Amino acid sequence: MRGYLDTLKVIVLIAFRNLFASWLKTLIVGGIILFGSMLVVVGTALVDSVDASMSRSIIGSVAGHIQVYNAKSADELVVMGGFQLDAADLAQIDDFKGMREALLTVPNVKAVVPMGLSGAMVPSGNIVDVVLEKLRNLIRRQQAGEDVSAAIESQKEHVRQIVGVLATDMANVGKLLTDKAVSPEELAAIRRASDPGFWSEFDKDPLATLEFLENRIAPLASDADMLFLRYMGTDLAAFAQAFDRMKIVDGTTVPPGKRGFLFSKWVYEEQVKLKTAHRLDQIRDAILKRGKTIAGDLDLQRWVKQNATEVKEIMLQLDRQQTAMFRGKLQKELASHEDDVSKLLAEFFRVDDGNIMERYKFFYDELAPSLTLYRVRVGDTLTIKAFTRSGYVQSVNVRVYGTFAFEGLEDSPMAGVLNLMDLVSFRELYGFSTPEREREIQALKAVAGFKDIDRDSAEAELFGARPAEAAQPEKAATATSDADAILRGLGGRGKRVKLEDETYDPAQLGQGVVLNAAVIVKNPRLIRQTMKDIEAAGTKSGFTLRAIDWQKASGLVGQFVTMIRAVLYISVLIIFAVALVIINNALVMATLERIAEFGTLRAVGAQRRFLLGMLVVETLAVGALFGGIGSALGVGVVAIMRFVGLPASGDTLYFLFSGPRLHPGLSPINVAIALTIVLLVSGASSLYPGFLAMRVSPRQAMQSDE
Amino acid sequence: MTHIVSVQQVFKNYTLGTFVVPALRGVSLDVEEGEFLAIAGPSGSGKTTLLNLIGCVDTPTSGVVHIAGNATETMSERQLTRLRLHTIGFIFQSFNLVSVLSVFQNIELPLLLQRSASAKERRARVEALLDRVGIREYSTHRPSELSGGQRQRVAIARALVTRPQLVLADEPTANLDSVTGTNILDLMKELNRTEKTTFIFSTHDARVWSYASSVVRLADGQLVDRVSAEEAVRVGGVGNLPSARAT
Repeated sequence: MRGYLDTLKVIVLIAFRNLFASWLKTLIVGGIILFGSMLVVVGTALVDSVDASMSRSIIGSVAGHIQVYNAKSADELVVMGGFQLDAADLAQIDDFKGMREALLTVPNVKAVVPMGLSGAMVPSGNIVDVVLEKLRNLIRRQQAGEDVSAAIESQKEHVRQIVGVLATDMANVGKLLTDKAVSPEELAAIRRASDPGFWSEFDKDPLATLEFLENRIAPLASDADMLFLRYMGTDLAAFAQAFDRMKIVDGTTVPPGKRGFLFSKWVYEEQVKLKTAHRLDQIRDAILKRGKTIAGDLDLQRWVKQNATEVKEIMLQLDRQQTAMFRGKLQKELASHEDDVSKLLAEFFRVDDGNIMERYKFFYDELAPSLTLYRVRVGDTLTIKAFTRSGYVQSVNVRVYGTFAFEGLEDSPMAGVLNLMDLVSFRELYGFSTPEREREIQALKAVAGFKDIDRDSAEAELFGARPAEAAQPEKAATATSDADAILRGLGGRGKRVKLEDETYDPAQLGQGVVLNAAVIVKNPRLIRQTMKDIEAAGTKSGFTLRAIDWQKASGLVGQFVTMIRAVLYISVLIIFAVALVIINNALVMATLERIAEFGTLRAVGAQRRFLLGMLVVETLAVGALFGGIGSALGVGVVAIMRFVGLPASGDTLYFLFSGPRLHPGLSPINVAIALTIVLLVSGASSLYPGFLAMRVSPRQAMQSDE
Repeated sequence: MTHIVSVQQVFKNYTLGTFVVPALRGVSLDVEEGEFLAIAGPSGSGKTTLLNLIGCVDTPTSGVVHIAGNATETMSERQLTRLRLHTIGFIFQSFNLVSVLSVFQNIELPLLLQRSASAKERRARVEALLDRVGIREYSTHRPSELSGGQRQRVAIARALVTRPQLVLADEPTANLDSVTGTNILDLMKELNRTEKTTFIFSTHDARVWSYASSVVRLADGQLVDRVSAEEAVRVGGVGNLPSARAT
């Protein structure tokens, strides 16, 4: 044993002396290995950290660890990453209660949250509609004998102001384009509404004039009155418990047993907020959080320009009194004598890096309190109309209880694009039957005389002689009135608009139909096995379930890290392939230069494996030394990154980093991977030169000069 | 006396493209233990080829080579290597030292390959040889820091460190000036006498024949004759050798 160690010692000695003797070659080869190993350490640490943070984002926001859906579905389930309104075509799971019970028999399953995804365009009404609605209510109150004339006058002023803004807007369009760009009907409508005679007419017949305003004027103020909402129907209490990063930002959560809607804070800001205010927020955030400047960023410049040119949405909100107030405040703030408030607003919003913070504060302190910042407010009722699976339009009214966000992902569109809705309303929108709906349909069937008949007796039932029943027309009439009564009793369509105030039995959430379900597991390392167990448990209980992990459930988003990892590994592969070729060539050259040495060693009694050992040790020594230095540098780089934090410069990175900055972690595995790769490559690259060395004959010693 | 080397009817051909070049043609030679044998002949006569065969670094095309009682034609590559390590020492014309090792390490190398001697034993043997060849003070030097004669002394010490039965030297003085060459031969001769080690060296230099116990003369791959050193010196240079074909 001692003899072997001594031999190894001389091999190592020769190897190291040779490395020093040809230091330039050693440095070149070592430099490549150093860079490669550093890249592996930093790259794998970053990818692992992104993987971990992204998985936290995905698992913690919507997907859970595992998603379960009906294996007979036409499409594959994707719960994240989609901004389109249409959801995947999934077959329903009829008995959520049974499925949940089956899933909970799997030891690693902690919670099962029912889900369903869909999307709809939701009308939110524009500002003119809102003002006209107020006016109509006041007129009604006046007609009922209430004294609201002052309030009516104020609202009338506001409407006249709006008409004025629209007239100016139309005139500007005419100037910028051609007169033909303005429709003659619209022009006539504006002219009529601007005419003082029109308002005398209003006093005589307010409701008829209001109708004209609603039908002809309101559509001219098309300030993005549709909301495009993707929503998830779920058991909101179970959801909040399973996804503990969810927090309520505004308002409250939906009370148990109530129908309700929670806006994602991101959607609420992006779609519902006054656009000017939202753009102002975005500019400020970009400056404060991402270190951008207006002067140096095209996006920020675009937002400034849009704010300066699109003051109409603010102007439409202002009545005469508010207009005067805005004029006074803006003149003072801008030290201007301009009377036109729209021009003052345009100037106010033309911000730069020097005044943005001051203007931002002024806007929220002085102007915003007089404005409706959000088109839909907490407490409002949303009428959501969506196409059911069978193709007809279904609508439900749901009250907006508040907004929510996932902690750490507040600014991420990927995590923020989904809104939440109670599962009962979702089922109704999606076309699934609810107990109320079932009762309604049964009642309708009863009064209409529906009955189920089999195919064989259909002809006889439909066309056969049924004198007794045919001769009872008066009974049908009675049935119709009965139907009215029954439907009135049930509530019917007229009453369903108030469903948002009704309660349902929370037990409904645990039963009935769902499209998919999120599974939270106890031990995330056992996801793969748990997926198999879930499918097996489903089969055992008569469900055909497909279980997919969070990565697959998140679609392209989930594949992102896999893609980054692939790119990293391909880069590493290329670098080390190059390294292998270079090391190999350098060693081949060195071997050819050392033919006499190898021949001598063979002649004096060195076995072939001694020569192979010498070369392998040489390259492994270079690999270990420079790979070690490279890995140490990599560890240093990762430590600096961890200390400083890599900023998320965009929405996607924000999601991938699970927050504004990534503080990458490092595991010994990252270093172990780097060193293993380096040693494997070094060892592999010494094999061919070693083979050449082994072929050197001891006769070469006799033939060569030193 | 025992034959340390027995070469019987050895032929060795080299192939150069389509040509077969005979290097040795039916050479037979027996060497007794303790001999100090010179193989003489002009360039291309087959001296080195014969040394290669005796040194087991090459194999004959036909014929038999026995070294220390081992029939080399039946031995594997590994066995031949082991035979070289334990039985034969080599001294090369160009010294062939490992440039990155010190003098001491170069001499110690065959002992390390043998893996039989302890560190203490190795040190003792190497130091004794350093003293014997007169380069003790250079033990930590690298070969590049030594003169030609000093390098050849290192090579001699390396060849003798395993206490081989046979030392082969290929033109050991060819790269040395005459004084140094003479000193080296004196040293080899002394070691031959004191260590009872058999030396076989090739040379085409008639001046060194006088050191040999006998001289084997080769011409055109054939053994011309085997004469005493005095006879060889008397006959003169290799140009005066009788025709090989005439014998």
